[in-house]
Amino acid sequence: MERKQLDAWLKAEQGGEEDAADAALAHLFTAVPKVPPRSVFVEQAVINAWRWRARRRRLLAVGWTAAAALVIAGAVIAIVASPLIGRSTVKAIAYLSGHTVPWLIAYASVALHGWLTLGHVGAVIAAALVTPARVAAVVGVELLGILAFYALHRIASAERLGDAQV
Amino acid sequence: MAVQRSDAELARDARSGSEAAYRELVARFAAPAVNFTYRFVHDRALAEDLAQEGFLRVYQRLNSYDPERKFSSWFFQVLRNVTIDYLRVNRLPTASLDELQEEGHQAAAVDRESASPEELAGRGELASAIGAALSRIRPEYREVVVLRYQEGLTQPEIAEILGLPAGTVKTYLHRARKELADILAVQGWGPASAEATARKTV
Repeated sequence: MERKQLDAWLKAEQGGEEDAADAALAHLFTAVPKVPPRSVFVEQAVINAWRWRARRRRLLAVGWTAAAALVIAGAVIAIVASPLIGRSTVKAIAYLSGHTVPWLIAYASVALHGWLTLGHVGAVIAAALVTPARVAAVVGVELLGILAFYALHRIASAERLGDAQV
Repeated sequence: MAVQRSDAELARDARSGSEAAYRELVARFAAPAVNFTYRFVHDRALAEDLAQEGFLRVYQRLNSYDPERKFSSWFFQVLRNVTIDYLRVNRLPTASLDELQEEGHQAAAVDRESASPEELAGRGELASAIGAALSRIRPEYREVVVLRYQEGLTQPEIAEILGLPAGTVKTYLHRARKELADILAVQGWGPASAEATARKTV
């Protein structure tokens, strides 16, 4: 019977009959032995799975316990230590305020005074510039000054040349 | 009459913590799993170890199993990955022909009640020859042959397991059959030697 099936398969294979070859080889393979597992195989697989399951549950339990312990410890620390932390913080703020605030106020008043002086100077200059007559006076004074510097420069230059020629 | 639960139902119950469902699932797939891994490692104890590893991995990943998929496809995909992981790390020698012939004779003994001595002799020889030929073809061809002809999976199911296009699986099957036929022909099982073999058997 198998010999006939083998021949039928090989014939179909040679003839390029895909489906027939597929079916014939499938039939032939029913005679090819499968390797059966040992009788304890199923029990062992179940034991392995349930051991893994128990280990995973233990790990999860340990993880949850550790997380809960951390949260509780954090809460306890916060409750116990918060009054101490609060008092020391208030003290530090009061100390720093007592030493720094007067200085800050003094510096602020000096800076304010300087700012007001600059403001006055600026106001005077601005007042001088806003009218044409005052502008003309300022420009005239500046021109006179420039001419005076120029004249002094010429006199000084002539004296240096005269000295050299001698 | 009790209705047999489907693999997907058993997987769902096993995921929910039913030991009985998982046991039933293992019982259904133990033989295909060991047979599949054995075709690659050629060592029964090692094949069982790999199959055990495969079942454990399946159990660990039951949450990711989609009941819309066929369980056997998913199962063989996981088992194949376990086998490939092992083979990547460990280079194994190929099985000796003697081992496979012995295996073939053992299988032939299974049907001894229903066949004549002559039939049994021929069947045992042919079974061992096919088993030996199977161990000699390329591993990628071997896995499609085992899944198709020993586990009875369809080409689309094999394609899903291997992550290959259906056309490639078809090509692999075609080439695998060709290689098997060539090997059997070299061993004297070709069409030309049919009559001679039959005479020898009688």
